[in-house]
Amino acid sequence: MILESLLAGAVQSGTSVLLTVCGETVSERAGVINLGTEGCMAVGALFAYIVCAETGQPFLAIPVACIAGGLMGLLHAYFVISRKANQLATGLTLMFLGLGLTAFLGRNYVSVSTEGFTKLRIPFLADIPIIGDALFDQDPITYLSYLICAGMCLLLYKTRFGLILRATGEDENVVYAYGADPIRMRYLSVIMGGMLSALGGAQLSIAYTHTWIEGMTGSRGVIGVALVCIAAWNPAKAFIGAYIFGAAQALQMILQQQGLEISSFLLMMIPYVLVLIALFAASIKKNGKMPAELKKVFEAV
Amino acid sequence: MKSIIKKMAALFTACTMAVAAAGCSNGPATTTAGSGGSSGSPVGVGFIFVGTKDDYGYNQAAYKASLDVEQRFGDKINVFRSENIPETSEATRVLEQMIQQGATVLFPTSYGHLDPALDAAEENPNCVFFHQGGLKTSENLGTYFGTIWESFYLAGIAAGSTTKSSKLGFITSFAIPQIMLNINAFTLGAKSVNPEITTTVIFTGDWSDPALQTDAVNSLADGGCDVIATHQDSTKTIVELCESKGIYVCGCHADAGELAPTHWLTAPVWNWSDLFVDMTQTALDGKFKGSVYDGKYRGGLKEGVIDIAPYGSAVSAELREKIDTAKKQMIDGTLFAFEGEIKDRDGNVRIAAGTRPSVDELETCDWFVEGVIGSAN
Amino acid sequence: MTVNATILSKPQVKNAGKLLAVLAAAALLFAAFLLANGADPLAIYSNMISSTLFTPYGIGEVLIKSTPLILIAVGTCISAKAGLVNVGGEGQFAIGALFSTAAGLSIGDSLPSFMGIVVMMLAGVFGGAIWSGVAGILKIRANMNETLTTLIMNYIAYQIVSYFVFNDLKDPDSFNWPQTAKIAHSLRLPRIAGKINLGILIALAAAVIVWLLVRKTKWGYSLRIVGGNANAALHAGINVEMVQIVAMLLSGALAGLAGAIEIAGVEERLRQTTGVNYGYLGFLAAWMAWNDPAVAVLTAAVIGFLSVSGNVLEISSGLPSSAISILMAIVLFAILWKGKGRKSE
Repeated sequence: MILESLLAGAVQSGTSVLLTVCGETVSERAGVINLGTEGCMAVGALFAYIVCAETGQPFLAIPVACIAGGLMGLLHAYFVISRKANQLATGLTLMFLGLGLTAFLGRNYVSVSTEGFTKLRIPFLADIPIIGDALFDQDPITYLSYLICAGMCLLLYKTRFGLILRATGEDENVVYAYGADPIRMRYLSVIMGGMLSALGGAQLSIAYTHTWIEGMTGSRGVIGVALVCIAAWNPAKAFIGAYIFGAAQALQMILQQQGLEISSFLLMMIPYVLVLIALFAASIKKNGKMPAELKKVFEAV
Repeated sequence: MKSIIKKMAALFTACTMAVAAAGCSNGPATTTAGSGGSSGSPVGVGFIFVGTKDDYGYNQAAYKASLDVEQRFGDKINVFRSENIPETSEATRVLEQMIQQGATVLFPTSYGHLDPALDAAEENPNCVFFHQGGLKTSENLGTYFGTIWESFYLAGIAAGSTTKSSKLGFITSFAIPQIMLNINAFTLGAKSVNPEITTTVIFTGDWSDPALQTDAVNSLADGGCDVIATHQDSTKTIVELCESKGIYVCGCHADAGELAPTHWLTAPVWNWSDLFVDMTQTALDGKFKGSVYDGKYRGGLKEGVIDIAPYGSAVSAELREKIDTAKKQMIDGTLFAFEGEIKDRDGNVRIAAGTRPSVDELETCDWFVEGVIGSAN
Repeated sequence: MTVNATILSKPQVKNAGKLLAVLAAAALLFAAFLLANGADPLAIYSNMISSTLFTPYGIGEVLIKSTPLILIAVGTCISAKAGLVNVGGEGQFAIGALFSTAAGLSIGDSLPSFMGIVVMMLAGVFGGAIWSGVAGILKIRANMNETLTTLIMNYIAYQIVSYFVFNDLKDPDSFNWPQTAKIAHSLRLPRIAGKINLGILIALAAAVIVWLLVRKTKWGYSLRIVGGNANAALHAGINVEMVQIVAMLLSGALAGLAGAIEIAGVEERLRQTTGVNYGYLGFLAAWMAWNDPAVAVLTAAVIGFLSVSGNVLEISSGLPSSAISILMAIVLFAILWKGKGRKSE
């Protein structure tokens, strides 16, 4: 029972992070880090919620959230690619902008109710013992996240576009050799990254909690950036870090519910400590290499 | 290189000059004299909130009252508001900035604003401060609060009479005295109708993170709780989720009954408006000194400062009568939620038989009554 | 990295002119936002500026607010010069504040004022350095990306501070409210004028020292080599790891010192939310200044001004506090848009 609720919790609270990790992976693969994913998530969460509240159409909310997140990505891309602004500073500024803007625009939606997405149980699959409920009794955006993860793997590793995208983050000359434009590739991937983060935000607001309130992303976007490294810049592994984080958040609640007499502050530390440990393990194993262009971001001072 | 050094030197000079200029006066200049309400120019009234004024919770309740104050006094006053003010010296700064803009009556509305407000009050003896929930006062700072635990006791009666599993859940942020007091009151209310009750508390570490609230409801539901109460801002997520999971729910701060048509019980709510208007009037009349607000004012069900939200359809007529009776007894003073003997969960007597604790004793609560499950630190 | 500082006079004036132009554009853009929300931009701007820059009180508040930002920014610059990105100012500040509060509370009145304050400052320095040092060691020994470790450790630091203010350090006289007791009166940083404490001078001195350290010393030279090209540094016989770990320690030490100054100079006690966001703002100040400690002082002051005058914006316009974040983001984006000017690579 506890194991099952832990797994369900891992997927439920991990999905928004998973999508963010996927998006950030794409962006970093092209050599651009976006610390502003938190802001993209917030924008996605708000716009999805507004569309749901105004039209009652959650399926309409998904594209709108993605467009809004894509615009945030575009802003980031313009500054770091065309204006050559520092990526980390731009990202943090984007975060402040996203959080501020959504807090401002969302004021009137805090007390508005909307149905959004509800859980959709998939017959047979959901009856698999232990993992069935966790994976297949979820909301549509969670199912979409499975598809997106798989789709991103295909895109990155099985298509010409993916090959060029990866080359953009490693060696621009290869990109030119393919007759592609690295700048365009970077723009595209950063925008895609913003869109996926926004979709993650939408999952939080219209599928998981059915609520909008400012700051509801609660640093999940920031953590997502750290988790990309754990996933070794591979969307196929994005779920590892995301679900560890989701499980840890669920775990702290389960432990409290079990009546464990440990300070709640120590319990609240669990998700972050686990992420740190996972990062440690990933670094020791040296699995996956940081894209060369991304390294420059950290080194160019 | 030299020029950079020059630049640094210039900066130093600029700072020194600024410092020297600042030295000419001590603290903010209070240009507006006292609070004579009869004079022509409007009096500045400032409100600061710890969270956002649209949080659908604690801050919104106070914010609404600030709107009523504005409406009631019209152009006799000039209202300033500032939200998301941390409980640090930033609060002192914002209060002082409001005073600079002409405010002479100030409402710091979060408990943690107390010490920063005392600092500002000391520097600005011409201004009157009304602090929400504090236990310290000064010459020109009085505190007010609602005995919201009375409402939690009533909500506890509703929860205790409704539960089948005798397991109640309580979702909140941090183990601060006001919240521990409310958890105790809720549990005592529930135990007054069903001594077998336990209340499992989950601290989320946040006042309104809907995802953590969802995780908390899920784990309480898995643990068999069939009534959940809460002390959070923005309880919407919890209320709606409880409705969809078939769990009965007590809200907090606001009536959210429409969000849970079949499983809503009730909620402790604030009614600050009349009190805020009266406090403002007292200050405008220059009658703060010696008034009921010059000290620690506490209003409860009797004064109408707090109440419970309308019952949901899940509350039977019989139960309504039971709660209403308790409410009446609380108003006429025959029932007191924390009347001894009350033991903490380690079996120590905290409130001696037959005694009623003082405001200070109640509002410094750092222990849980028997039946509460959760970590108090 | 062949940039040196002999590039002033005319191009610099032009550069400054450009900066003013983009700031004016940012002000215009935000004015449009204010107009769209029914506020009067002219009245609000003049109120913001006159009450913060033209009153002694306002200037004092800007200096007080800028103090921790300057220290954190300058600290960020040091690590950046070594090719390390320290986004952990937030956590290093918090642990520094925690250590110095703990030191201050245990000292009480037992030491002469000067010594007590020095001990508090050292405790803060020590706390901040531990927190950044962990990230530095993880970087060198486990190859963990320091950007990510410092970022995550911010959240851990917040929970640690919360734990202590709710437990061991809770003030017995604050009615069980989660805050520490006040430090003894003798431990407060002396005030130089009004509410302004010695902290601003310490911060400026730190900026000067760091600037000299980076520009004028042998260590600073190796620091810049390491940051420029670690391989070249290895060939030149520089102990890269040692330089990096020292840079990281210094960086955290300054953030920790900022925490100590905030406690001893302003807050006098530690709370859960003491200094929240200072770390990120300080980081921004450094990267806005291309990690030049001299310029970072200015950018930190700009951010300090924005946040103090932002309160006035909110009070006098009736807009929600999110308007301050929007204004801040617009101004920062304007500076980012302008870029480094002539110096850009």
